[in-house]
Amino acid sequence: MPIALFRVDERLIHGQVVVGWGKHLGVDRIAVIDDEVVASPWERDLYCLGVPSEVGVVFASVQDARHELAVWRADPRRIIVLVRDVETLARLAQHQLLDHEEINLGGIHFAPGRERLLPYLFLSPEECERLREVARSGAVITARDLPGTRPVTLDDLLPEE
Amino acid sequence: MTRYPASVRARVLLRSFLIQGSWNYETLIGPGFAFTLLPALRYLHKQRGESGVPQAGGPDGATGETLEQAVARHVELFNSHPYFATVAVGAVAKMEADGTPPAIIERFKLALRGSLGSLGDRLVWSAWRPMTAIIGVVLFLAGAPWWAAVASFLIVYNSLHFAVRYLGLRMGARSGLDLGGVLREAPIQPVAERASQIACALIGLAVVLAVSVTENNPGRLAMAVVAVALGLALGSRTRKILTGLLWAAVAFALLLGLLGYGA
Repeated sequence: MPIALFRVDERLIHGQVVVGWGKHLGVDRIAVIDDEVVASPWERDLYCLGVPSEVGVVFASVQDARHELAVWRADPRRIIVLVRDVETLARLAQHQLLDHEEINLGGIHFAPGRERLLPYLFLSPEECERLREVARSGAVITARDLPGTRPVTLDDLLPEE
Repeated sequence: MTRYPASVRARVLLRSFLIQGSWNYETLIGPGFAFTLLPALRYLHKQRGESGVPQAGGPDGATGETLEQAVARHVELFNSHPYFATVAVGAVAKMEADGTPPAIIERFKLALRGSLGSLGDRLVWSAWRPMTAIIGVVLFLAGAPWWAAVASFLIVYNSLHFAVRYLGLRMGARSGLDLGGVLREAPIQPVAERASQIACALIGLAVVLAVSVTENNPGRLAMAVVAVALGLALGSRTRKILTGLLWAAVAFALLLGLLGYGA
């Protein structure tokens, strides 16, 4: 079964993901790919809090996830994969690992240096460039906060180079 | 928070009622969070200033952080369910007192904010509020005066609201970083499920009561049909059947009230 949702969202697990997407897609598992969270038991506990008991949660480092991705794609259970930022996404995308994968930009908040592209999406020029690289490696990137809203393609999102 | 005097704890609890007071799109309830935490930060700052002993981490500790700088860290983006936010405030107050490094506190708040929102949505918005509102509707349909129906809704609804704020603050303050494990044991999901079940049963009762008052009265029956259709249409926009039925019941009760039924 292909990955049900591959999402970049700095909040990782939260209501929009669990209720908005999880219920809509009928997912069985949520995978969080984050080097810091995977090494921190109290952080993992906190992220698990917001997940209903029938949905499983997996944590993986970027290194491990590069192997796990194939396993997840082959698994019959439906899975949401979450990364915190564009940097993590770009590291995963190396060697065309995300070729033909649909990537959902779900929520990156304001920080100094970032510009507002959508109400839920703020990106720095460097992050935009990284996203273009990921797209060139074969990934199909769109921005969309919830299943009910209209997706915005990367071409519409980023100004011409 | 156990290290804080009762007056500081009480002030934090009272301020938590205003946590959404400066809600905005950029930092959400961040400023409210800092406002709620402020009595605790002031207390710590004063204590450490007087003792003259520098402590690692925390406000005015070895880092020489001023009160203003400590507050500045907490006005940044934060979001949570407004009632459950006291859990985060309590835990952060404990960590500030323990001298936990600001970077860890920052990551703690980031990890917590989504989870508290999700817990609060499931318990309060999608279970407790529909259930308590339908209690009021049923009482009204059963012949209670309107003010008694409204009062019973407010009292039952806020009993949980106040309990979450008070117990949440205490739980957060006792657990600090271990909050995740402690919150998992809290009976939030069972209460939410039970409230949903009760709400469904009460909606059934409301329908029976509504039909019984429309007997031999085609005008009222038509109103009931319109109210149910309206409610379902409104509810389907929020994709929640329970909310839809609740709107239906409320609309019907309002129409009856306008026509003087039950007066």
